[in-house]
Amino acid sequence: MSNKTVVSVVLGFMCMALTLGICIQIRTVKNSNSTVSQNYEENNLRAEVLKYKERYDNKYRQLEEAEAQLEKIRENVAENDAGLEEAENKIKKANKINGLSEVTGAGVIIKLEDGKKNPMVLNPSDLIVHDLDVLSVINELKNAGAEAISINDQRIVSTTAISCGGNIIDINGERVGAPFTIKAIGLPEYLAGLSRVGGYLELLQGYGIEAPLEKSNNITIPKYNGVINFKYMKNVK
Amino acid sequence: MKKGKTTMIITAGIVCFILAIVMTMQFKIVNETDITSIENMRKTELQEELANWKTKYEETNQKYEETKQKIDEYKANQESNEQAAQLIEEELEQAEMLMGTTDVEGQGIIVTVRDLENEEMVENIDSGDLILIINSLRAAGAEAISINDERIITMSDIVDINEGGYIKVNLEKRIFSPYVIKAIGDPAYLESSLIGNGGHVDKLKKAGHEISIEQKDKVTINKYDEEIKTKYIVD
Repeated sequence: MSNKTVVSVVLGFMCMALTLGICIQIRTVKNSNSTVSQNYEENNLRAEVLKYKERYDNKYRQLEEAEAQLEKIRENVAENDAGLEEAENKIKKANKINGLSEVTGAGVIIKLEDGKKNPMVLNPSDLIVHDLDVLSVINELKNAGAEAISINDQRIVSTTAISCGGNIIDINGERVGAPFTIKAIGLPEYLAGLSRVGGYLELLQGYGIEAPLEKSNNITIPKYNGVINFKYMKNVK
Repeated sequence: MKKGKTTMIITAGIVCFILAIVMTMQFKIVNETDITSIENMRKTELQEELANWKTKYEETNQKYEETKQKIDEYKANQESNEQAAQLIEEELEQAEMLMGTTDVEGQGIIVTVRDLENEEMVENIDSGDLILIINSLRAAGAEAISINDERIITMSDIVDINEGGYIKVNLEKRIFSPYVIKAIGDPAYLESSLIGNGGHVDKLKKAGHEISIEQKDKVTINKYDEEIKTKYIVD
């Protein structure tokens, strides 16, 4: 008899705990849903954002087609004139340096990944890859002679800024999250110097961040995904 | 008696099972809620996002119109070598301007930061400070930047040479305090990126540095005067 009472009490508690859990869960979901979907204004804004994103995507595709067409015409025009051909080659080379065309070559690939929870690290912020860490790695790569760099396929160009937006990093106006894959073209032996003893990658590893570096003979870095327009600067005549 | 107990246990078992399943489902829903997706943005974030896409769209549209126009000009001048040469020259000039191999001018700001002499409590300006200032200027739309007349291009590096107590940019150029940073772009916007709350110049100021920022109608920035070599990018 007393055995039965114990069983009933235990069962009663279990059911209560489970029901309580479900109630809390349902309330959480309901709360987040009500702020998401019941706000008319936000929904309108959301639709507007999607509409503009689509318009942008379409226009960008048109632009890419037009640029390809322009290049073809330029090649045709320059074909029969040695002087023009030289200028045309200079434009092509400049586009590679400026990040306006895809490039390939030897180099290194670095991954930066947030550290795993570690009881030895007192400040959890140390385990996270920050914008300053990415900026420093990029600067070190440039110092080692990098000729082209991308972060998660965002090409670094002369106007690229890297800024912190919460736990997401903003590069070229695009949101990019960890892990960060940094590709650089240059002499692999020089670029690999970043992982030397006392180098910046070792410093990051000391904080618990994972930062493996890998040499490669065949790295492809995409072109800049956007438009660079100048409104303020002019060539000095 | 015995039969009743079995029924009870089975019933309780089934109830627990169902409850456990419902809970797992719930947890999954909560977990799958992606905080970065547009579905979960709040009003201000959405407004920023909208402004961002609008600007991107307009810039792309403008570039598209320009490209179209260039194509038409080439087509119209296909017969004339002289005209075609001029068009190619123009394009090359634009590409070189973007590379930083031409002298440029325009509206902008001049920032001067200097190390404090005989002031041991305040650390000297280092490469990290300059990198952060340049990054802020780029985030505010700077179109061209130089430090002590050394043009900062895409692949410019800035490093401390601790033994020498100076800073090196563009691999081999030494620069010393005072650091004069010139930038072309919207002057008010450029300045606000530095002095706003959390701006790096603001931090340096609070640390005791002397800093001046001037907004100018015309800033002239020197070209990068070495050849930009690419030895490892495959043609």
